Amino acid sequence: MSCQCQDARHFRGARVWPSFDGMANAIEVSGLRKRYDDVEALRGVSFQVGVGEVFCMLGPNGAGKTTCTEILEGHRLASSGTVSVLGHDPARGERALLERIGVVLQSCGIQEELTVGELLDMYGRYYPRSRSAEELIELVELDAKRDTSAGSLSGGQRRRLDLALGLVGDPDLIFLDEPTTGFDPHARRQAWSTIRSLCSLGKTVFLTTHFMDEAQHLADRVAVMVNGEIVASGPPQDLGGRGELPTEIRFALPEGLGLAALPALPDGAVVVEERDGILVKTQDGVRVTHALTGWALERGIQLHNLAVAQPTLEDVYLALTREGEMEKEIR
Amino acid sequence: MSTATSIAVDERGSAAESRRGFGAELGLIAWQVFYEQRAFWRNRRRALASLAFPLMFLLIFGAIVHGHIKSRGNVSFINFYVPGIIAYTVMALGFSTMALSLAMLRDKGVIKRIRATPMPWASYLAGIVLSMVVTVIVATILLLVVGIAFYGASLRISALPGLVATIALGTACFTSLGIAASRLIPKPDSGTPILMFVTLPLSFISEVFFPLEEAETLRHIGAFFPLNPLANGLAPAFDPHMTGAGFAAHDLRSLAIWTVVGCVLMVRSMRVLSAKD
Repeated sequence: MSCQCQDARHFRGARVWPSFDGMANAIEVSGLRKRYDDVEALRGVSFQVGVGEVFCMLGPNGAGKTTCTEILEGHRLASSGTVSVLGHDPARGERALLERIGVVLQSCGIQEELTVGELLDMYGRYYPRSRSAEELIELVELDAKRDTSAGSLSGGQRRRLDLALGLVGDPDLIFLDEPTTGFDPHARRQAWSTIRSLCSLGKTVFLTTHFMDEAQHLADRVAVMVNGEIVASGPPQDLGGRGELPTEIRFALPEGLGLAALPALPDGAVVVEERDGILVKTQDGVRVTHALTGWALERGIQLHNLAVAQPTLEDVYLALTREGEMEKEIR
Repeated sequence: MSTATSIAVDERGSAAESRRGFGAELGLIAWQVFYEQRAFWRNRRRALASLAFPLMFLLIFGAIVHGHIKSRGNVSFINFYVPGIIAYTVMALGFSTMALSLAMLRDKGVIKRIRATPMPWASYLAGIVLSMVVTVIVATILLLVVGIAFYGASLRISALPGLVATIALGTACFTSLGIAASRLIPKPDSGTPILMFVTLPLSFISEVFFPLEEAETLRHIGAFFPLNPLANGLAPAFDPHMTGAGFAAHDLRSLAIWTVVGCVLMVRSMRVLSAKD
């Protein structure tokens, strides 16, 4: 749940928050509701984010992710429910809280005439303890762009500058709204390792993303929001009972052989014919695979494109959000 | 390190951090002025639009129009233009540039970004306003130098206190109105024509480019708005026949009333700019 690096709390700048049960939470949300005119964007959301945790909020567009994030950042006011961020109510916009959080918003403007170095200096002055422009420029690999004005950066470079600006106040908690949208694969890997390194410093990360591999790679815990409600949450490997979902075995039979040729499989295995092959779903992956490969060896048949896999986070996510969408239509 | 001690350290630390002294706050605003100035002069087009136009007006009018104005105590044309164009510049910078800059900051989401930092919105705005004051000072000195050195405009040194006070009040007046007007600009792209539509006709009826000797009605309409009182308020400093410290009570009163109106509108518009929903 928390970061692998147990010594992180003793690192300079890392803090421990008091709490009643000894488990320190950076964010606590309970019964959060937000109503715009006649649309209820958040319908009773509750969750906690522990100190040092990377928490990822997933959900389709319009699910309420942004509204939820903006309430946590203090940009919007909740209609009801309680929200606590580092022990503060974000709606009050207290400076003591703003000094300890970093926000990387999507599509947030910048003073475009100033250079990368100047902007990092300028924003750094707003915080009581700030990280140096040099250090941040190196971290996001903008060394060559230090004296380039923000207005002439490419899209990906701008996002990296945004990330650096989010980190300039050496925050204890950082909000990242789709931090790698528009990055090339190399830059994404780089951003991921930056975010991972924040975690090893004991920082807490609240992330929203569209990319399942990003959530899988970075998050200690994932919550899926659909229609203003959290429909599932947990570590990415068990989300939505992913650990218990049937194993999927895919292969293609040689021409001339149909489903009828297959051997008898252990109980509970479901065989489905797909466009480009056969899919077998089973709770007992080892025995079914053994039965299939044994049969193929015996007959001297090739099972083309044989693959044995657990459902991916994306499969689970799509199943969860599809249910949510159907529920919405029924209502 | 036990948990208890680290909490104690933390509480003391954050209390000291969040209560910044007044001096530190002023220092922060001063840095903001520095960065705003940098950004302002780096954007050549904007710097040109706000400075080169008044300078160009002065150079052209000063070169082609000569003689004296009977209706204004026989003062020479250049001594009419210099205060008029200074007034025009104060309006262009304080009102138009201010309204446009704020609309741009709002539209691009810079204000949202600032609000996510510990920099108080009021301090940030103070930085922008003070930077604009610096630009007004630079522009005024430039116009004075050109007017006096090239065209022989006469500035009465004894009237400097009145000149400075009138420019200060005029700047406060137009800046507050500019901040208020930023709310009415839907998109920065449409801002320039909207603002031109207000400031250009106003300039023509406010006796900054030429005196309205015959057009009685237009002059009365112009006198109602703040540009004409500002130009008139600055004129005594350039009238060699006059004496005194250059305070024009009637014009200063008009400017003060407009400043109060501007401040009320500004506060309302700032509430809208920083509202949460």
